[in-house]
Amino acid sequence: MFINWKSREINLKIVYYGPALSGKTTNLQYIHRKMNPSMRGELVSLKTRGDRTLYFDFLQLELGQIASLKPRFNLYTVPGQVCYAKSRELVLQGADGLVFVADSQQQRLKDNLQMVRMMESNLGALGHSLRTMPLVLQCNKRDLPAVAPVSLMRQQLGFNGAPCFESVATEGAGVFDTLKTVINLVVSHAQREL
Amino acid sequence: MRTGLVLPEKLAKQIDCILVELYRKTGAGCVLLADITGQLIGAEGQVQNIDPVLVSALAAGDVAAMAELTRQIGEESPHGSFLHEGEKKSVYLFNVADSFILIVIFQADTPVGLMRLFVRRAAERLHPLTAEFEDLMGSPRQVANTAFSTTLAHELDNIFEGL
Repeated sequence: MFINWKSREINLKIVYYGPALSGKTTNLQYIHRKMNPSMRGELVSLKTRGDRTLYFDFLQLELGQIASLKPRFNLYTVPGQVCYAKSRELVLQGADGLVFVADSQQQRLKDNLQMVRMMESNLGALGHSLRTMPLVLQCNKRDLPAVAPVSLMRQQLGFNGAPCFESVATEGAGVFDTLKTVINLVVSHAQREL
Repeated sequence: MRTGLVLPEKLAKQIDCILVELYRKTGAGCVLLADITGQLIGAEGQVQNIDPVLVSALAAGDVAAMAELTRQIGEESPHGSFLHEGEKKSVYLFNVADSFILIVIFQADTPVGLMRLFVRRAAERLHPLTAEFEDLMGSPRQVANTAFSTTLAHELDNIFEGL
């Protein structure tokens, strides 16, 4: 978080984390497509030729003046492929809140779990923990067959206390509910912490 | 890891002075100061079609990746600056005290040596201010009153309604 009292801006960083192909970039693409262009910047993706996220996606939201302050939310995704562990840690630096985008398909439970462990490790390396970081769980791809029950996913991933949304990011279901919730969590957390 | 930074007006003005001077002396298109996490802290000048917030995020990614790359090859003190020389515009990134990045976008025909000199001097003047930044990080401050979070929640409902 960065607050500039001169310009009365509050900058907050929210990172979408999760396994490869779980829908992190799709979340940002949907937000970018649907938001009023005056309230959002360009969606920038640093990706491979195969259209996979290489470093991060970035989207900035500016919601105008609220209670005499100008909040600005910088949304990032991390690359989901296992080999980009270091990149994920770099993107997590300075994060104020996290969205864990889990793939609901039963055969991806192990991948989700592996990525939760990596997230814990990344946060630990940066002096943080899952207990202290505002976090929202998004169970994505609920439209696909053979999805795991949400209660099972929450339990297995260890996110019992975190807000959870079912989503179909390709169609936008649950995308803005997730975003709204993580923004509100981050702001209340900032008020408590500082 | 930093947990938050509240930049008081006085410090913001000191930073602006340094950025303005660098901007004027170099004739750059724009001069930005970002922190290592990619947050834009200060800006002077404007370049058409360039979003300073986006440039800050990308510059932070670039510096972080290069720092890690140099560490991997066994360089304990990675070089603090990176230059991209373009056909029309060039970009110079300068790492200030491993906490901040000075970003200068300038016309490609500007002498690079001159640019390096002025940027280095500006970084030296910014350096003592970074200590003040470090003290401010995570220190107890009033972020916003409760009205802010309540109004924000209400605004979010309005903005996101039907999306």
